[in-house]
Amino acid sequence: MTHPTGSRINNDLLRPLLLTSWRFYVLVAFFGAFVAAGLIAWLSQIFFGFGISGLRWPVYWGFYVTNFVFWIGISHAGTLISAILRLVNAGWRRPVTRCAEVITVFALLIGAMFPLIHLGRPWLAFWLFPYPSERLIWPNFRSPLVWDFFAINTYLTGSILFLFLPMIPDFAVVRDRATGLRRRVYRVLALGWRGTPKQWHRLETAMQIMAIAIIPVAVSVHTIVSFDFSMAPVPMWNTTIFGPYFVAGAIFSGIAGLLIAMAALRKFLHLEEYLHPVHFENLGKLLLVMALLWGYFVFNERLVTYYGNGPAEMAVFRQTQWQSFAPLHWTMVFLNFVLPLTLMGIRKFRTIAGCVIASIGVIVGMWLERFLIIVPALGHKYLPYSYGTYRPEPVEIVITIASFAAMSLLYVLFAKFIPIISIWELKAGEHPPAPDLVPPATEEHRLGDLRL
Amino acid sequence: MPRWGMAVDLDRCNGCAACVVACHAENNISTVGADEAARGRAKHWLRIERYWEGEFPDVRLTFRPVLCQHCDNAPCEPVCPTYASHHTEDGLNAQVYNRCIGTRYCANACPYNVRFFDFFNPSWDKPLHLQLNPDVSLREAGVMEKCTFCVQRIQAAGTQASAEEREVQDGEIQPACVQSCPSKALVFGDLDDPGSRVSQLSRSPRGSKLLEDVGTRPKITYLARQSQA
Amino acid sequence: MDRRSFIKLTAVTGTSAALASCGNPENQLIRFVPAEDIVPGIAVWKPGVCPLCQAGCGLTVRVMDADADVVRNGQAGLVRIAAAKKLEGASDHPVNHGGLCARGQAAIQITYHPDRITQPLKRSGDRGSGRFEAISWDDALGDLARRLDALETAGNQRAVAFLTRPGAGFRQTLIDQFVSRFGAPAPVAYELFGDDVQRQANALSFGRHQVQTLDLANTRYLLGFGADFLGTWNSPVAQGAGYGAMRQGRLGVRGVFVQVEARMSQTGANADEWVAARPGTEGVLALGLAHVMMAEKLVPDSAGRAGAIVAGWSDGLVDYAPDRVERSTGVPAARVERLAREFAATRPAAAIVGGPPLAHSNGLFTALAVNALNALVGSVDQPGGMSFMPQLDTVAAAGLTGSPARQTIERFAADALSGRPAPDVVFIDGVNPVFTAPPAWRVREALDQAAFVVSFGSFLDETSVLADLVLPDHSFLESWSEAVPEAGAGVAVASVAPPVMRPLYDTRATGDVLLDIGRRLRRPLELPWQTFDEMLAASFSALPSATADADAWTDAQAKGVWSGPLPPRLARQTGLASPARRTFSFEAPRFDGDAQQYPFHFLPYPSTAFLDGSLAHLPWLQEMPDPLTSAMWSSWIEINPATAARLRIGDGDVVEVASSQGALQAAAVITPGIAPDVVAMPMGQGHRTFTRYASGRGVNPIEIVAAVTEPATGALAWAATRVRVSRLGPPDSRLVRFAGGMREETEERR
Ligand SMILES: Nc1nc2c(c(=O)[nH]1)N[C@H]1C(S)=C(S)[C@@H](COP(=O)(O)OP(=O)(O)OC[C@H]3O[C@@H](n4cnc5c(=O)[nH]c(N)nc54)[C@H](O)[C@@H]3O)O[C@H]1N2
Ligand code: SF4
Ligand code: SF4
Ligand code: SF4
Ligand code: SF4
Ligand code: SF4
Repeated sequence: MTHPTGSRINNDLLRPLLLTSWRFYVLVAFFGAFVAAGLIAWLSQIFFGFGISGLRWPVYWGFYVTNFVFWIGISHAGTLISAILRLVNAGWRRPVTRCAEVITVFALLIGAMFPLIHLGRPWLAFWLFPYPSERLIWPNFRSPLVWDFFAINTYLTGSILFLFLPMIPDFAVVRDRATGLRRRVYRVLALGWRGTPKQWHRLETAMQIMAIAIIPVAVSVHTIVSFDFSMAPVPMWNTTIFGPYFVAGAIFSGIAGLLIAMAALRKFLHLEEYLHPVHFENLGKLLLVMALLWGYFVFNERLVTYYGNGPAEMAVFRQTQWQSFAPLHWTMVFLNFVLPLTLMGIRKFRTIAGCVIASIGVIVGMWLERFLIIVPALGHKYLPYSYGTYRPEPVEIVITIASFAAMSLLYVLFAKFIPIISIWELKAGEHPPAPDLVPPATEEHRLGDLRL
Repeated sequence: MPRWGMAVDLDRCNGCAACVVACHAENNISTVGADEAARGRAKHWLRIERYWEGEFPDVRLTFRPVLCQHCDNAPCEPVCPTYASHHTEDGLNAQVYNRCIGTRYCANACPYNVRFFDFFNPSWDKPLHLQLNPDVSLREAGVMEKCTFCVQRIQAAGTQASAEEREVQDGEIQPACVQSCPSKALVFGDLDDPGSRVSQLSRSPRGSKLLEDVGTRPKITYLARQSQA
Repeated sequence: MDRRSFIKLTAVTGTSAALASCGNPENQLIRFVPAEDIVPGIAVWKPGVCPLCQAGCGLTVRVMDADADVVRNGQAGLVRIAAAKKLEGASDHPVNHGGLCARGQAAIQITYHPDRITQPLKRSGDRGSGRFEAISWDDALGDLARRLDALETAGNQRAVAFLTRPGAGFRQTLIDQFVSRFGAPAPVAYELFGDDVQRQANALSFGRHQVQTLDLANTRYLLGFGADFLGTWNSPVAQGAGYGAMRQGRLGVRGVFVQVEARMSQTGANADEWVAARPGTEGVLALGLAHVMMAEKLVPDSAGRAGAIVAGWSDGLVDYAPDRVERSTGVPAARVERLAREFAATRPAAAIVGGPPLAHSNGLFTALAVNALNALVGSVDQPGGMSFMPQLDTVAAAGLTGSPARQTIERFAADALSGRPAPDVVFIDGVNPVFTAPPAWRVREALDQAAFVVSFGSFLDETSVLADLVLPDHSFLESWSEAVPEAGAGVAVASVAPPVMRPLYDTRATGDVLLDIGRRLRRPLELPWQTFDEMLAASFSALPSATADADAWTDAQAKGVWSGPLPPRLARQTGLASPARRTFSFEAPRFDGDAQQYPFHFLPYPSTAFLDGSLAHLPWLQEMPDPLTSAMWSSWIEINPATAARLRIGDGDVVEVASSQGALQAAAVITPGIAPDVVAMPMGQGHRTFTRYASGRGVNPIEIVAAVTEPATGALAWAATRVRVSRLGPPDSRLVRFAGGMREETEERR
């Protein structure tokens, strides 16, 4: 694996921080407009009442909860992948980890918005938190929604740390090269990083601990998200498979999200020399594995339902399999299984373009999967008299689009202000650390040749 | 402590829907209008379910009044993050509107779909508001509402009885639906009092619980409609 | 900020806020001194009478404080009033026994309806334009009295017409007196789903011109012919109570219920066995059963007069052998025989007919046939059978004599249009014939002939909107209310109740207004009372007291009802002067529309929510899911699945229904409970003008009903129209349903 070394790394990777092209403004304006539209949509929902959404008795969860599960799923891209790759010390991870971890943090932030957007009275959302109240009123710790609160917060905190720690040396690089306000900002962010052996040692240790700790957290988060469903006696929800099924799905969509992000970065930030086809190839293989795993879970879930032939479950099963939701269901199967299997399974399609196509398919397919878990079941719960259905209204569609725009916007801003590829890790990959644990990057950090 | 429950005699119920309107009148349930009703926002804490069997000319129909079953093992309760949906000592599944933040999780968990969300603030074209029952709070947009077993009537009867230093008599409490029912298909009372009418009816061999296998342990017993063999 | 500046700032902002709110009239909140004593938060219960149908159920009204918006001396503000909060069935009322139907529950919305007429109105635009201007009561009544005086001077008293609803209460008696003392023709009584055919048949069969009361609670076998006795017919709450007891009120005994009808009504939906006979042949089936019973000697023939007037009875009804019944009715012969045997074997048993079977040209025969069947099994005047409830003679109780026979609206319209006599002043009270009469009768055009139309309505419905003068009545909760039910209890019943609350508006009780006009005339009508409640007081005082310590009037006011044995002089004489000498035999029903061109029978039926449409303005009833279709706020047409499949009509599709009279469009509801050659549509919607909740919603099936009548009574044969049905397009927003699934199987097949 080859990529530029030394000061070229700095030049290439710090370029976006230092030079602002018109394209940046266009992108920010473009995505910002969608985000603004989403905010207006949400405000009008608060102002006019939840009635402007498409939710209706008895389908009280729709696009917002779909988006919630979807984005929490996407968040599994980064931290989990990066942590695993770090632990197994896969060398090819170096250019990938940061842009993966960023996805986690942003996807979590966006995902965590949806339970609020979805609340009937969002201004009282703090009642979900165990804040000290003189009335001694606590949230109901038996509610999976409260577990969600803890799980997501833990994962978010962990992910931010996990993202932040390895950024410190890079902040120091920028600090050392910057002037004025920028210098002051990055100085704060660099937390007094000097690059002493002790600091390197601590950083490495912290990263090691975090990498180990974040994996169970990540697994637990989506398991708990799955509990939002599987704990309720709703036909097709109340099943033990949901935990692993959701985690697998989350990783699956996460990898797809990462592949798309990498391809975009490679193209827009001209990182062709850092993000190589082999990165895509490797992640593509992982996507293939996850597609197989996903197919296995879906097959399991469907077969067991079909064989069990419970009347309530079968009402939902029929809806998704061959009644009103069948077109969506079979689209989902195609996008999540047939397409990635074909593109990633056949070597000549496992190109960057192939990966991107498969990933877009998986993103759409996984969004549909969440929708199809939620809506048909709620619409066909036990008593046929109360069967119903759901169609989204503009407010939900706008907010959904805005969430994708928000992801893009945050990503653009991040890539603008922080090196999207970990500079020192890349360099460390060039020169394996000496036994005395002095990373060669240290020198690079001292001998800068860029003028800011 | 009493444990309030109901028996619904499907052999008496004739589907007249008097109970449906009585519940609206008693509990300040707002009508939503044609457009919102078309968008699935109509609220009927009590509904008459109707099922057809057979083909013309040998058709048979069954009416079944469905309201909150005040489950002893209510799935709507543990999922509520704020205890807005909770169990009272006398066995009611109570809904504290002020505590509800509108997650609608409880409505998903309820197998009977008897919980209704307020999509908008309720409104009454004046002076229809003069009819509102001052004993029942209005629900603002964003909260979940449902059958309360007419808890205001339960409270009032309890207060009256304790003022008169006596126990509440069987049959003294009549929820609005029970009171209006022309054919006396609905019977309300204390399930822990073995002599009450509702206890006796609940032990009837015709009795069964709705969706018993879901494990909710409902406190409403449906007495089967008999057929003429 | 120091303390001083804080106080200053607060004072400034506070004062400016106060000033701002004073300048803005919307923000003013003036509380007027209440005019009545009411303890906030304390409920009182007062008796009332449900005004919505002839059943006359008793109410217990919960009254509590409420804040009403009022205008006093030109100033808008709030005042605390004692307001009716909830209507309950009066628990000891002999008719409804504590129950109340859905409509009765919703009646309170009449009082608080936002579109109620709040004061007398005078027409200011073209007739029917709906433009009115305010007028004072004095001017209105003075103007009206002058018009009546002018007619009297001209000797043209017969140019006055009074349109009202049928019934035998005190209000009707007062109207009769008003009309006859003035010298006008008898009032015109109209009710779309009236029981004239039934009364006529009962008069012929049993010598009682009255609707029968059923003792369902003691019946063991009930054979229904189309009567929607649990939903809309006769005294539904009383019958609902009896039905509950019939099914589960007796230890070890469960009454059987078989219903014969071509479209499954809410009542038929409860039957153990539902028999779809061809429309208009129900009488043949009844006589077929009688034939089997007589031929097999299952019961002794005790039919007497009721049997004797049926042609062929003495010969054992040979024309009604099961195979011939099968050919005529479509009910298999074996089933006819089985039903006959079951019916004969179970005592007590009762048959009941009403609704669509009587709404054919041969309706009288059908009613007579069922009466004969009842007589044959000895169910007349027996426990568990049918009987005639003693009914108070309001005329005698009021110390008056003579009550005119009512005219039909068809006759009124025909006369008005042919100008003999041209109506000059037309009064309208409690009827909306422009909406409920078939267009062929041209009621609207007839009213256009009148020089002056006076309505006592509280709402501008299709008929009241044609008025030149609207003299709005109080709501039933604001005035003395009364009812003298014709059926529903074992003893005579007269409901009466004082006002429950003060009038909300500048309205007046119609009874008082009639008495007032009577006094204002140049030649006063000399009615013996100043006000309507004086009439009630005088009448009820004439009744025997039920309790020792209170007179009948005091007791009735407190309880809301008087009931008990009637002295013969106060009982309504319902016998027929000269019983029929002829016999009646089956005649094939006459239908409007050729069977080739119009292949389907059209059945407009009284809706559970709105009856004939007079309740479509109540939002609770609009939003109440129909028990069979779960439809709300809409019109629909019911079609059998096989028919729908043949016509390629899917559930919810928009279809056109056309008769010789016209066409209308509605959404299809595919339902197994209807014969393949019948389509049915509920009455109630399709109002052009009837408050914000009902106007412009759905369609009115009467608009395509032909003016076929039952010849003996002149009653509209509303089930005698044929139609054709065609698909217009896919489902649109016109049908609103509460529930998703009609049935499990349908869901699965979809
Ligand atoms: N100017 C003025 N000041 C007064 C008084 C007065 O008459 N005039 N009266 C005094 C008296 S007597 C009293 S008792 C106090 C009352 O003063 P507070 O106790 O402040 O009373 P509220 O404003 O009624 O309610 C406080 C908050 O509780 C929230 N709330 C409702 N239900 C719940 C719940 O389940 N959990 C949580 N966490 N919050 C909930 C409400 O939304 C509201 O925001 O005011 C005193 N102050
Ligand atoms: S009021 Fe009684 S009879 Fe009527 S639908 Fe309700 S439960 Fe059934
Ligand atoms: S019926 Fe539904 S709402 Fe009522 S207690 Fe049971 S689960 Fe809760
Ligand atoms: S909607 Fe309200 S009652 Fe239901 S779970 Fe959420 S907070 Fe609890
Ligand atoms: S018990 Fe009360 S709240 Fe519940 S359905 Fe009956 S009337 Fe409504
Ligand atoms: S049956 Fe008639 S009188 Fe009785 S409550 Fe119903 S509408 Fe009123």
